[in-house]
Amino acid sequence: MFAQDFVYESLVEYGEGGVIKPHLAESWDISPDGKVYTFNLRQDVKFSDGTEFNAMVAKKNFDAVLANRDRHKWLELVNQIDGVNAVDEYTIEIIFKNPYYPALQELSLIRPLRFLGEAGFPDDGRTSEGIKAPIGTGPWVLEDYKQNEYAVFVKNQYYWGVKPKIDKVVVKIIPDGETRAIAFEKQEIDLIFGSGLISLDSFRQFRDSGKYQTMISNPLVTRALAVNSNRGPTREHAVRVALQHGVNKQALIDNIFYGTEVKADTLFSPQFPYCDLGLQPYAYNVEKAKTILESAGWALKAGQEFREKNGQLLELELCFDSANNVQKALAEALQGECRKIGVKLNLIGEERQSYLQRQKDGNFNLIFGDTWGAPYDPHSLVSSMRAPSHADYQAQVGLPMKAEIDAKITEVLLSTDEKERQDLYRYILSTLHEQAVYLPLSHGTNIAVFHKNITGVNFDPQRNRIPLVNVDIK
Amino acid sequence: MERFIVNRIISLVPVLLGISLLTFILIQLVPVDPAEVYLRLSQIPPTDEAVAVTRAELGLDKPLYQQYFDWLRKVVQLDFGLSFVTKEPVMEELLYYFPATLKLTAASLVIVLLISIPLGVFSALYKDTAFDQMCRIFAFIGASMPSFWLGFVLVYILSLKLDLLPVYGRGTLAHLVLPATTLALGSAAVYTRLLRTSMLENLNQNFVLYAKARGLKERLIVVRYVLKNALIPVVIAFGMTLGHMLAGSVIVENVFAWPGVGRYIVSSIFNRDYPVIQAYVLFMAVNFVLLNLIVDIICGLLDPRIRLGGD
Repeated sequence: MFAQDFVYESLVEYGEGGVIKPHLAESWDISPDGKVYTFNLRQDVKFSDGTEFNAMVAKKNFDAVLANRDRHKWLELVNQIDGVNAVDEYTIEIIFKNPYYPALQELSLIRPLRFLGEAGFPDDGRTSEGIKAPIGTGPWVLEDYKQNEYAVFVKNQYYWGVKPKIDKVVVKIIPDGETRAIAFEKQEIDLIFGSGLISLDSFRQFRDSGKYQTMISNPLVTRALAVNSNRGPTREHAVRVALQHGVNKQALIDNIFYGTEVKADTLFSPQFPYCDLGLQPYAYNVEKAKTILESAGWALKAGQEFREKNGQLLELELCFDSANNVQKALAEALQGECRKIGVKLNLIGEERQSYLQRQKDGNFNLIFGDTWGAPYDPHSLVSSMRAPSHADYQAQVGLPMKAEIDAKITEVLLSTDEKERQDLYRYILSTLHEQAVYLPLSHGTNIAVFHKNITGVNFDPQRNRIPLVNVDIK
Repeated sequence: MERFIVNRIISLVPVLLGISLLTFILIQLVPVDPAEVYLRLSQIPPTDEAVAVTRAELGLDKPLYQQYFDWLRKVVQLDFGLSFVTKEPVMEELLYYFPATLKLTAASLVIVLLISIPLGVFSALYKDTAFDQMCRIFAFIGASMPSFWLGFVLVYILSLKLDLLPVYGRGTLAHLVLPATTLALGSAAVYTRLLRTSMLENLNQNFVLYAKARGLKERLIVVRYVLKNALIPVVIAFGMTLGHMLAGSVIVENVFAWPGVGRYIVSSIFNRDYPVIQAYVLFMAVNFVLLNLIVDIICGLLDPRIRLGGD
């Protein structure tokens, strides 16, 4: 996806803290009813083939995406757009079916609403079946590509913005993390950027060796467990709250992530829009967890390891993707944490599709799931909580106020009033927090490892963007 | 000999039909619905309506026997359908990745032969000497070392520390050395021992004694008579190993970022890309069966009793 970001650009950009900044559009107006967005396009933008970027080609791109709505249904923005008009050579207006406040955030996404040059369109104008050539307005141009091996990008000579300092970027596809680390050490690679690309042991070794430069981004996503309020002992609020108090998240971060992630107390990091709510974290307190369980009738009989109530063992299923080493390590550590409070945690590691199936069916007590990161958080994830095919819905469906939560979600997405929106988010997120249907563990980050002759490495708030424009090799 | 080959080719048909049926049934036993997988891979949430539409589109709502015959009819025309992930024809993708794996396997084969024939022959001729003991140690280590670990050890020493070879990727002949050696060492170890045993058996045969009595030179006896006979069990085992190498080079392909068919199939299995999995199993079955046929022909050439027995 980062490769698409190298080549194609969006109308607006998602900046730190969710601030929307001009990009291909230098300014915009929103009609009072929130249904018409008028964008004034930059007049100095050219595609990499030298042709001009203007309202006509912008409209053509929108129309191609809208002609294929089904494929992009996952993105509420596409569902909400009614049509796009070219008002004059450098002005377009987007007509919405309903006022949809996250429109600008979603226009900053890497796909689908970015812009392909006229010559890249297939003859029938439909981009759903492929394109003729990757012609964009971005800082890089795809020069060469070999499936599963490499892609070579060179500078776009017509680029309107800050020109890249390096002439060429070669993206190498190396499936194995250890091979990546060795290739980096041997200087066959200049920069490793992203998450999960090398083992955290390798990262720690590079960081501690002092021979290389390493960086860790701000929190980008949250690693959390969805706790099923509709199945087995986790139906009980007390059990869900006890789990919150019983997990030593800092120990997980120190021992599994070697400090590369940050402890998460809430489903969304407070830096995301509408998420800085001052929610009271559930502190790590084993004794408190035990007392809560005890008061709820889950007693620990003498000589036994796990609690019981009415002859039923306090036994939960934690489901994870067996190919995901981080989930596996976390699951094993959590099993130990739960044992301390008398909860038997059974680990169910399955291959990915079966794990996804459990998310969809609600066939779990606890299951891993990341938030989606910027610019989707919080609105897109919150929106998906209404869909039964999501683990979030399944986890929440046992809550007495689920219908109200869903109604507020629908309201918040259509709300045009900033204060009302903030209040609605406060209700939704604080209710989910109080009901303890998520056990947030850590905020995931991107890491960068690079040689000392490289400068200008930075992170973007969007997880899948690799900003290389300022990178230089001395 | 011709009739022998024709008979073998005709017998392939029921074997392949059986394999195709088995693959089809096994995939049906997997508890995840292919329509849901298809939707998820297309980034479409699998709602009940979407699943129903997709099942109809993919023909999954038809009776099983009809699905099988529909699939088989297309397979006969070499149409394995489109990959759920890339939406490209599966056959084209297999043919795109397969040459890389074939090149890797062929290079490994050469290395196996270069190592196991001299080591096997000389460890038999110099039985129980220090050379034989060293070959034995090599065989034990080679056969017991997992290929991903061997790969990393070779990369660490030869690439990182000594800077002799590239770490990964393909391009020059130098890129081929490490992955091919990693893939070859395990088999080379096994074949060294197999050839040694087979050589020793043949060295004790009467025809060797007779040849010696006739005053033939030792070298001539070993190369023309003993080795030729000793190779037959090795060649038979080799046919199977070659199939395993073609189908099982995935670990080596991953370690060395070699863009072969092994990596392709593993990601397809994780994605539950059913058309690819079905095509791959059948494709590899054809490879195995053809390799066995080739092995039989080579054995026939090495030993007249085998080919004449067929006539």
